[in-house]
Amino acid sequence: MQNARHLYFDAIPCYLSVQDREFRIIDANKRFRADFGDIEDRFCYQVYKRRSEKCEVCPVERAFHDGQSHRSEEQVTCLDGRAVSVLVEATPVRDESGEITSVIEISTDITEIMDLERQLRRSQQRYHLLFDEVPCYISIQDLELHIVEANRAFQEDFGSCLGRKCYAAYKHRAEPCVPCPVQETLEDGQPHTREEVVTTQDGRHKNVLVTAAPIRNGQGEVTGVMEMSADITAVRELESRLTSLGLLIGSVSHGLKGMLNGLAGGMYLVDTGFKKSDQTRIDKGWDAVQRNVGRIRSMVSDILYYAKDRVPNWESLPAITLAEEVCDLAAAKARDQNVELVRALDADAGDFEADAQAVRSLLVNLIENSLDACRLDGKKPACVTVRLRGSADCVRYEVEDNGIGMDQETREKAFSLFFSSKGTEGTGLGLFIADRIAKAHGGKIELESRTGAGTRFIVELPRKRTPQQEPESAPNPTETETPHG
Amino acid sequence: MANDKKTVLVVDDDPDARDYLVTVLEDQGFAAVTAKDGAEAISMIEQSAPDLVTLDITMPGKSGVGVYRRLKEDDKLRSIPVIIITGVSDDFQKFISTRRQVPPPDGFINKPVEHEQFLKLVRELLG
Repeated sequence: MQNARHLYFDAIPCYLSVQDREFRIIDANKRFRADFGDIEDRFCYQVYKRRSEKCEVCPVERAFHDGQSHRSEEQVTCLDGRAVSVLVEATPVRDESGEITSVIEISTDITEIMDLERQLRRSQQRYHLLFDEVPCYISIQDLELHIVEANRAFQEDFGSCLGRKCYAAYKHRAEPCVPCPVQETLEDGQPHTREEVVTTQDGRHKNVLVTAAPIRNGQGEVTGVMEMSADITAVRELESRLTSLGLLIGSVSHGLKGMLNGLAGGMYLVDTGFKKSDQTRIDKGWDAVQRNVGRIRSMVSDILYYAKDRVPNWESLPAITLAEEVCDLAAAKARDQNVELVRALDADAGDFEADAQAVRSLLVNLIENSLDACRLDGKKPACVTVRLRGSADCVRYEVEDNGIGMDQETREKAFSLFFSSKGTEGTGLGLFIADRIAKAHGGKIELESRTGAGTRFIVELPRKRTPQQEPESAPNPTETETPHG
Repeated sequence: MANDKKTVLVVDDDPDARDYLVTVLEDQGFAAVTAKDGAEAISMIEQSAPDLVTLDITMPGKSGVGVYRRLKEDDKLRSIPVIIITGVSDDFQKFISTRRQVPPPDGFINKPVEHEQFLKLVRELLG
């Protein structure tokens, strides 16, 4: 019987020992002896852990104490110094009277499992680190497009969004987007990529390249979608600037050729006027030269304004002085074109904070636009009226003409870059820059127009700059100098 | 139009450009009339066909391309020679590439116009 029992003991693929109440090992199987050596007169804590006294928490002690089986995870050290992780199960052995006489301790080697667990834990940590620190937005969506997980970048820009629909978090929409790369992935189980514009919780628009990839369960069924969005706003902005630059070059080249043609015409008239001693012809030619030099100067000024992100040179300005100045500047051109320039200016409009050169450029652009509208009309007595009024919060300039007016398309695109309804004469910069100047001052330009009836521009500029417009450093005075030469 | 003088219609939205070409033409004994946009040009051509048309491409309203098409699609007006005068060579390329059954223009001059070159072409076309 004793031999048979040892045969069973030895066949068990664990360390097996029997201990008395003093934790002395009174029996052990072959595997135990092979890895931990001789057991004679030795205690379990000596053999297993090379300790001089029993462990603080001991499953064998607890089994003796309450008669129940107890488990614990331990790390023990073999004879050859190898550390082995074991799952210990201590089971009391009773005699015929029910008295606990010993405890069987079975220790299963779980070293490999523990190593795998450690690897898994490290891998999970790495995954979470990557998930959170990767410089793009990552979210996991379920089959109903609820966000069930999102990385740090996503939550920083789109808020606490777990449980929300992705289209609500990303685009502030009430309905799913059409088309939607996540929906497409849910339908065909394939990755899908699309460029989108999303809106952060503080209202910033971002261009993102979205890739949706399926998440599958053990059976290969799609249970969700991982959506990864790379922020490509900077790339798109650069592209946009390059495109604008190309358009600018095209537009400038076109405008410049027209103006050079005007200059060539003027020079021809002056030249042949001298040969023929024809003063009228000379005067007409010289006017054309002056007019086209003026157009070139104005275009160069517009280009410089467009090319630079200027910091406004803020100063307190009397609104009436600025209005008088621009009317004086435009008076000669109006006279040449037989346009009546009417000044309806409130001298008590007060002061406002602005960049004088920029606002002057804005108003000159509007007045020149009106003069052109009158010249292109050429059918009725032409009139351009400049008005100025002040209110508590802002100053309001108006420039009104009775020229050709604008159709709906021209009205809608009037402030767009490179849009011009003036054929050869327009570069499509003037009103764009006027609008940009108004916005840089925290103001706005509105226009009212009807084909054949005329156009009215209304410019509202706040009296005080907002805190956002406070300069980070003192403006560079050279930025605001009028270009010469 | 004028009795013995050949008449040229100058179509351009820029008054300085119109004045320039008109003066150059008149100095050389041609008669010149002007139109400031495409619609006015078509109306004038239909009323009294000129011997030659100089045509700007980029104009407000009806562009030079539209005027040219209209001219070349009309059996009575097709024979009037046309010189395209434009500041944007891309426009001309587009103009050429988008034509369907319309023949290429009789002449093409880039702005700024060199008046001797312009007159040489006018004389060639008007014989």
